[in-house]
Amino acid sequence: MSRTETGARKGASPRPKNKLARANDRVLILMTLPAVILYSLFYLYPTINNLRYSLTKWDGFGEPEFVGLNNFSRMLTDDLIFNKVLSNNIEFTFLVVIFQTAFSLLFAIFLLKNSRTSTFLRTLYFFPTIISSVSVAMVWQFLYEPNLGPINVFLKSIGWDFLALNWLGSETITLRAIAFTQVWFHVGQMMVVYIAGLQQIPAELYEAAEVDGANRWQQFKSVTWPMALPTTAVVMAYTTIQSFRAFDLVYAMTQGGPNNSSSILVTLIYLTAFNEFRFGYAATQSIFLVVFILALTALQRRILRTRY
Amino acid sequence: MKVSKSAKAFRLLIAGAFAASVTVLPISGGFAAGETLGAKCTTEGESTGTFSTSLVCAKNSAGRLVWTKVKLSASNLKPIAALRAPRGSIEFWHWRAEDKAWFDKIIADFEALNPGVKISQVISNSGDYTATALQKVRTNKKAAVVTTFRGPQFNQAAEAGILVDLTGEQFTKRNVIKSMMGAGQYEGKQLGIPYQSLFNNPIYNISIFKKEGWKLPKKFSEWISYCKTAKAAGYTPMAWMGGFRPQAGQIINSALMNTASTDALLTSRIQALDTGKDAITVSWFKDMAGKYAELRDAGCFPDNPKGVTEAAGNTLFATGKSPILPTGSFSMGGIVTLNKEMDGNMGITGMNWTDDVNARYTGITNNTFILGVNKNAGRTEQRIAKAFISYLLTGPVATYYANSSKQHVTVLDVSYTDANLRNTSSIMSERLVLAPRFIFLNQGVRDILEDALIAIVGGESVDKALTDGAAAIKQRLG
Repeated sequence: MSRTETGARKGASPRPKNKLARANDRVLILMTLPAVILYSLFYLYPTINNLRYSLTKWDGFGEPEFVGLNNFSRMLTDDLIFNKVLSNNIEFTFLVVIFQTAFSLLFAIFLLKNSRTSTFLRTLYFFPTIISSVSVAMVWQFLYEPNLGPINVFLKSIGWDFLALNWLGSETITLRAIAFTQVWFHVGQMMVVYIAGLQQIPAELYEAAEVDGANRWQQFKSVTWPMALPTTAVVMAYTTIQSFRAFDLVYAMTQGGPNNSSSILVTLIYLTAFNEFRFGYAATQSIFLVVFILALTALQRRILRTRY
Repeated sequence: MKVSKSAKAFRLLIAGAFAASVTVLPISGGFAAGETLGAKCTTEGESTGTFSTSLVCAKNSAGRLVWTKVKLSASNLKPIAALRAPRGSIEFWHWRAEDKAWFDKIIADFEALNPGVKISQVISNSGDYTATALQKVRTNKKAAVVTTFRGPQFNQAAEAGILVDLTGEQFTKRNVIKSMMGAGQYEGKQLGIPYQSLFNNPIYNISIFKKEGWKLPKKFSEWISYCKTAKAAGYTPMAWMGGFRPQAGQIINSALMNTASTDALLTSRIQALDTGKDAITVSWFKDMAGKYAELRDAGCFPDNPKGVTEAAGNTLFATGKSPILPTGSFSMGGIVTLNKEMDGNMGITGMNWTDDVNARYTGITNNTFILGVNKNAGRTEQRIAKAFISYLLTGPVATYYANSSKQHVTVLDVSYTDANLRNTSSIMSERLVLAPRFIFLNQGVRDILEDALIAIVGGESVDKALTDGAAAIKQRLG
């Protein structure tokens, strides 16, 4: 630390390092080496390799055939299924981000106080997060079953047959039904993040607002929401990434069906690679996914940064 | 050289006597008491497949269960004993984690018979296995026994020259049911031995059929009548699971099996769809798709069929709400898990989608678990692998595997003790075709095509579903 400060001093020429300092540098480099090697081996190398494969036609077994940017041009201009899946993913992300953020904030506000009931309810809402995603999928698959499932059985028993829908069998409803499950699955986790954020808001701000005669809604609008924006940025970024990675839930519930109506990019990439053996094209799709998530997260951060 | 008439007659006599001695005598020695050609048999379907020709309990033309003589193996000779293995260690690559325990015991017995031999199982899940196994075994000298799925994976392995030709092996000629070897053949060579036999035909609830006094439908119009009758009686005629494509697509096998006059024509038609040469709006496929609509209109499928999951479909059948499960013999284990009372209460029947009771095929068979020897393994390892495969192909070992795993096998001299296997093994003597669904090599095309058929069952018109599907396939194939 002191060395950096000395070195950064204006006008001072960098002093030649003594033997001890050089030895220290070597130790520091050596200490980072395991992490660098692991990172390079398990992240950097596969990523670069993926870029290479995206320019090929490859069945995962034979020799990859170089096709230049053909995969990219086809994916962006001439792939109806990719377009459909991308729009599914955008809809899915939009629904999940909006509802998960809204509900987690709502629950956090109501359960902010450390009372016994709040602690119990927090635990209850957090509970789904610790269940494995495939188990969640199985449970909801059962709940959504159109003929034997408890949701429709209940709706029919109270005479609301019109609401007893084909939850996982209709091309218009399935994606929304899965989005609901995803919100149910992760809302407790985001609620905890919000609670941590909201607990940092100084109590004096609420006291001052109360003195000024602000009601609960005005307190929320003028104190809670602006102060919770940094947490919201984190929650939204995390939820966005999470919704793009909801492979296990979607795959276990519908495998992307019916007719690709619930397929999202990660399920499409999996099926392209491991079902159709088009590894090159799947690599192209996965690069698009990375770039898309990066762009979306950057956009979110930009929008939210202008607000705080 | 001239040969006199009496010499000719003498030669014929000798040849006839020899043929009788190598066929009839071993057969009579191999049968258990009471199993006589043409006689009534009480346990439906038990196969006593022994030697080249075997007595199999099967229905005759009058529908009676009788011991019927059929030739099962490729040669007229007795099955051979397992080969001896040289010392060494090999790996046995497969994806069936559920079989690990049985294979552990089989391997332990094999190792005891062959001192100095060590076999370790390398098991990965089916997804990983499909994606990476062949790539990995290519450079692994120890990976001597390699299993492949029928269809794209087996073809990929064959094309890449990974598999040793087993055509000339005695166990190939003498230990297995010849008609069930098709899935392991490539360009006339036997590159793999299909081990399990699956039957992708509807399973039925024996007691419901008995109670209601129904007969099993034998042709398409009878299936339509059955659906109407069963529906009227308060049942879901077929527990079809449109929410799960892999199982919903099983009936396409039966739908396809009699759509062409020859196997070659059927294969070429499917290949034309698979490669985009023909669209799925082609007339023969449209006719077949139209039958899905007929079944739908007759009430064969559950309500909201596109949302019925595999679990829900199995539950409908296991709880007796549906008398027929249109998947295959492989579903029986799961059904018994759901309801113990279904043990021994399931039969299997072909689904004829024509109105000709003498149609070319009456049912479907399939093999997914194909045993092969890796050409890239060392010489000693290959010898151990062949010995191990020959061991798996002996009657007692295959009997143990079949009854433990609750799967039929392609091996001779197997005695099924499991009630469900016995009840369904009669299908082996029917006119079976290898599941045509797997002639499709492009999974993407097959998925779209099956989605179109599922859409029809879900209420879509045949024209719209096929037109949409054809557009999607055209686009997919670029």
